[in-house]
Amino acid sequence: MSSPFDINGGACVAMVGKDCVAIACDLRLGMQALTVSNNFPKIFNFAPGTYLGLTGLATDVSTVSDLFRYKVNMYRLREERHIAPQTLANLVSSSLYERRFGPYFVSPVIAGINNTTGKPFICGFDSIGCIDFAKDFIVSGTASDQLFGTCEGLWEPDLSPENLFETISQALLSAVDRDALSGWGAQVYIIEKDKVTQRLLKGRQD
Amino acid sequence: MASIIGHNPHSNSIGYSFSQPTNAGNKEHSFYPYTDNGGSVLGITGKDFAVLAGDTRSTSGYNINSRYVPKVFKIGGDQETGEGAHILLSVVGFAADGLALKERLDAVVKMYKYQHGKPMSVRACAQRLSTILYGKRFFPYYVQAILAGLDEEGKGALYGYDPVGSYEREQCRAAGAASSLIMPFLDNQVNLKNQYIPGSGEGHALEAKKPEPMPRDTVEQVVRDAFTSAVERHIEVGDGLQMLIITADGIEEIYHPLKKD
Amino acid sequence: MNHFPGTWGRPRDDVYGPYDASYLRSTGPKAHTQSPAVTGTSVIAVKFNGGVAIAADNLASYGSLARFTDVKRLRVFGNAAVVGFSGDVSDMQYIDRLLESMDIRENYSAHGNQLNAKNLHTYLSKVLYKRRSEFNPLWNHILVAGFDGDKKPFLSSADLLGTTFSAPHLATGFGAHLAVPILRRLFPEERPIDEITKEDAVSALRDCLKVLWYRDARSLDKYSLAVITHEGIEVQEDQQIEAQSWAFAETIKGYGAQVV
Repeated sequence: MSSPFDINGGACVAMVGKDCVAIACDLRLGMQALTVSNNFPKIFNFAPGTYLGLTGLATDVSTVSDLFRYKVNMYRLREERHIAPQTLANLVSSSLYERRFGPYFVSPVIAGINNTTGKPFICGFDSIGCIDFAKDFIVSGTASDQLFGTCEGLWEPDLSPENLFETISQALLSAVDRDALSGWGAQVYIIEKDKVTQRLLKGRQD
Repeated sequence: MASIIGHNPHSNSIGYSFSQPTNAGNKEHSFYPYTDNGGSVLGITGKDFAVLAGDTRSTSGYNINSRYVPKVFKIGGDQETGEGAHILLSVVGFAADGLALKERLDAVVKMYKYQHGKPMSVRACAQRLSTILYGKRFFPYYVQAILAGLDEEGKGALYGYDPVGSYEREQCRAAGAASSLIMPFLDNQVNLKNQYIPGSGEGHALEAKKPEPMPRDTVEQVVRDAFTSAVERHIEVGDGLQMLIITADGIEEIYHPLKKD
Repeated sequence: MNHFPGTWGRPRDDVYGPYDASYLRSTGPKAHTQSPAVTGTSVIAVKFNGGVAIAADNLASYGSLARFTDVKRLRVFGNAAVVGFSGDVSDMQYIDRLLESMDIRENYSAHGNQLNAKNLHTYLSKVLYKRRSEFNPLWNHILVAGFDGDKKPFLSSADLLGTTFSAPHLATGFGAHLAVPILRRLFPEERPIDEITKEDAVSALRDCLKVLWYRDARSLDKYSLAVITHEGIEVQEDQQIEAQSWAFAETIKGYGAQVV
């Protein structure tokens, strides 16, 4: 429990549907067992339809999200276009590997729809940038075991945006309810080609 | 040179090996009496039945010891066939402790019948199991146990335990290596946690779905789904699924192959 | 040489440091086995149509020293079972004495029914479990081969913690890594046991022992092999690994100081 990954708690999950993707996180911020805030979202927007979720050590969640805001802004100014989720994935990977022997204690998750191909994309990373390209779902955070169980049980291919929302929400809520370090509400993004829906879920407040 | 390296302030005297003062205190015991044999079990109750299921893989470390080592046992029946049993016990964790625990409980249930002339109730057996586990409070049986049967009213009864005997009657329980994967799935699908009746209200007025006892075929399907999911994501779970279903008519056993990778 | 004859012939303290006499202690707490001393390596066994074959090499090692090269690690019990021992050899000899006295007791008893391999395995696993529960383990991993009460081939394992399991083919120690995959390839689960002949089983075991001899540094090319059928038990205790080919050795590159 003294692992930096488990001090603040938190969970994040991304899922692929039919022409859509979803990413969701809990809202808790804690110091060990003590909850400090119930409004600490862990998903950050980097381009229209491109999101990055970060779980792990809260100070690194903030640092890394700020670092990528800077890097992605520089990318957009240089390239005069939005960053694609695949490009962001490689940026995240190489940036984390730069800190190979003194890593940021975060487990990032990317979800987005590629603007040129229109294809859904999700991926996850370990804290030193190894990319996990998954076709179904990505989980991260202190509730990752629980999320693996619920996602593996509830997810199916080609879900519509509505069904994907229901699936990811049920998977996340049920998972964080079995993790003492996650929960206290959730935030869900459903990403379609030209539309993003953001929803706040109340969830259990204990 | 070596004499400097080999210098020991305590060995000024000559080196009679046997006259050396023994300043070694109690030696630390390096023998660790436990091992984890992996695997997972899961139990669900219905109106007039209870299901206890477990995978049949036995592991030590990354080795698979065997692909068929049952973790779910009939209690109070014939030694070989299990005939006449009316209680089920599943044990997961350290298999040798699990087997020892099963045999002790089995003996207790049999002695009860010989002495009282009636079968032990599940409630009594559940309390007895707790006492047995707590009896080894300071050298515990390294197991998570689940006990199942039918209660006095004929309803499915399920009791979940920790290694030192804390117990609770429940509708469903997962234990073992993949319990963290299976349990939230069960909360959602069996106890309908986080599920609401659509259109029943706004905000706090939204009405939660009430869990109803599930029919037997649904329960069996949920158990199979839970295990096929666990097999995908946990290396210690696999090979086969053994499902024991207890009803008023007796105990039925179903074996279902799982992935062997 | 100095004027302390007690130190003559001993490693010099000023060179080698003081002698560790802790094991000579006769007072203080009773020491239980915390690690094995003289050990035997893998035992391997496989079931076939109408019986079980089991094998182990004849080596007892003292750490990395090949100390005793003619140690029989297969123990025949009556005409019912063979027990294969790996792990501590002195504990093996203790268990052997238990089995010996039980065999004599059983033979003098009036009830007339013979203990089978399954009974023997149950007994041994309980001895092992009891000793581990006393924090004084018998440092062995054993395989028991023979027949169960229904005269069906029986093969099961028990280790120093009392853990038991059974499978159509089993191996202890290094054999669990090297021999089991070979046995699983030769006798896959789909292949029914009735299709496996005694000759298949024996030649598979010989192959496995050869692989173990090639790759397990604590193994020997002299071994014992026992075959248990309804006709009885045949034990061959002075077998030699035949047709060794070390041609592969010169193709191995990249260990130690060798770079190219």
